Amino acid sequence: MIRPHDSIIVQTLGRFVIPVVQIFGLYVLFFGQYGPGGGFVGGVILGAGMILSVLIFGHDASRSQYARNVLHGDGVGMLIYAGVGGLCMIGGGEFLNYANLDIPGLETASRRSLGIVLTQIGVAVDVAVTAVSIVFSLSAEEIMEDSING
Amino acid sequence: MSHQLPAILFLLPLFAAISMPVVCLKHRHWSYPISVATLAVMVLVSILNLQNVIHHGEVRYVFSGWTVPLGIEWVADGLASVILVLLSALGLLGVVFTGSTSPKDLGGRIVHYYTLILLLVSALTGIVFAGDLFNLFVFLEVAAISSYALIGVAGGRALFAAFRYLVLGTLGASLYLLGVSYLYAVTGTLNMSDMVDKLPFLLSSKALVGGLIFMFIGLAIKMALVPFHSWLPEAYTYAPESISPILASLVTKVALLAWFRIIYWVFNASIVINDIPILLLVAALGTLATVIGASLALAQRDLKMMFAYGGISHIGIILIGIGQGNQTGFAGGVFYLLNDAVMQAGLFFFAGVAFCQYGVRTIDDLGRVGKQAPWLTGSLIVMALGMVGLPPTGGFFGKWYIILGALEAGNYVSVAAVLLSTLLTLAYFVKLFECIFRQSSTQLDVQSGGIPFPFKLTLGVTTAAIIILGLFSGPIVQLLLDHALPPGL
Repeated sequence: MIRPHDSIIVQTLGRFVIPVVQIFGLYVLFFGQYGPGGGFVGGVILGAGMILSVLIFGHDASRSQYARNVLHGDGVGMLIYAGVGGLCMIGGGEFLNYANLDIPGLETASRRSLGIVLTQIGVAVDVAVTAVSIVFSLSAEEIMEDSING
Repeated sequence: MSHQLPAILFLLPLFAAISMPVVCLKHRHWSYPISVATLAVMVLVSILNLQNVIHHGEVRYVFSGWTVPLGIEWVADGLASVILVLLSALGLLGVVFTGSTSPKDLGGRIVHYYTLILLLVSALTGIVFAGDLFNLFVFLEVAAISSYALIGVAGGRALFAAFRYLVLGTLGASLYLLGVSYLYAVTGTLNMSDMVDKLPFLLSSKALVGGLIFMFIGLAIKMALVPFHSWLPEAYTYAPESISPILASLVTKVALLAWFRIIYWVFNASIVINDIPILLLVAALGTLATVIGASLALAQRDLKMMFAYGGISHIGIILIGIGQGNQTGFAGGVFYLLNDAVMQAGLFFFAGVAFCQYGVRTIDDLGRVGKQAPWLTGSLIVMALGMVGLPPTGGFFGKWYIILGALEAGNYVSVAAVLLSTLLTLAYFVKLFECIFRQSSTQLDVQSGGIPFPFKLTLGVTTAAIIILGLFSGPIVQLLLDHALPPGL
């Protein structure tokens, strides 16, 4: 179990830094279209922001609510990824061939761009969830002992 | 639509696996019917795919439309499609069996348990279809990681066995990856069909030989070939009853399939490196494996341990068939692989039922089964006939073609090894039946009740399949000869 950090400096700074980290994560995720960045790095930064809030405010705090809820999204990121791929297959192309995404009013180039953004969002969600769940399973001592004794 | 079938086959269990935690968040008992339904659909799709491949030739599927040396390719040829039917059918039976035996104390984690099983099936599908060496590695790892977790579920000694499997399995995967990187350094490509064009000019390269050896050792650990087999018996013995059948019937066989895809499809099987034909090396190691595996099985008293060593010896027999370098031997080897997968599944189903219903762990307790469950004993007799290789069963015809192939190649040591391992197999089944029918067996009153339906179904189907594979061995081997042979054999 992770307890809140007792330093007022850390707590106050955390309030300012965490939203900035999250926004930077989103920026990196979407900037991946045009330069260095993308789903994996963006997901790591988003996950790091949530881990930071758990480390500063503790496991039970209302500010960590978001990180706790994220854990239920185990397969959601992969589902977004595979869902986009499946839509391409329904559109008549190969799996993940974004040119076949059936969206009226978009040219092929825009379809490819949209498709890659959607899959990158899926990757980001998955990486963030994995990062948070690693921290939670490492910090949950009592659950571990139960499973070894049982 | 039909050109999408290979991708659908892979995506079906993957989709089900990743949506399981979300769908079953509130209703954890849905996970079992969802898994069964998914795999049932997968069996149907795999049969459609096999028909399609037989009538229209092999299907090459390129993900996201990139052309071949760059893109990721799925190759659904005859061999892969036949194996896929086997894989999905045995996966379905394994999951049906799981319904009555899954560990009780899992609670909410039961959802993740089924997720891992489906993930294992989709990863094995990926290994069978993979058209490039690196993706083969990726799916080997996904399959291995799911197996470690599934073995460890039982807790206690299973954790130790799973950790040992993890250490050796990771070593194997790393060696395989090292071999792939050597080959990549020499040829500059990872795609198998692209590599075929580039290899003939590079056979003198030392990096190529090194890469081939690393890949072989890596896959030999995965397929539990004899010097590298030490992780297998304990892992399969202490794994949960419901998991051992899937692992024993599929995981090692698919690694074996990956090896002969590399050796026949990527390299030319007849190549000679430093005066040593590589196929002879494979056949020689198979000869060792089959004799040593069967001898070790004879020494066991634990039921699952005995079956696990039996599986190790059969890996050797398949390698002998594959290693002869002629059509008869190859078709015999693949046909024996099909049979062996079914027999291993059946034997571990038997061990699971015997443990769950009658508390049988070692062969000394088997007397209880003989008295109380004649049908169970009947199915064991059929499986024993198959393992030993007596006529109406598929095991006989598999060994028959392998021996014919070995005679054709003039490889009499291999023939002797197959016969010797047959005798040893007969010996350990005689030992087993002696315990079943011995009158002075310990009578413990185990409240058994009726055997649950999933147990009857899975045991019945595998037992029938052993006979059916034997009765239809002619058409099946003909099918393999027509559609599943590697180029240039």
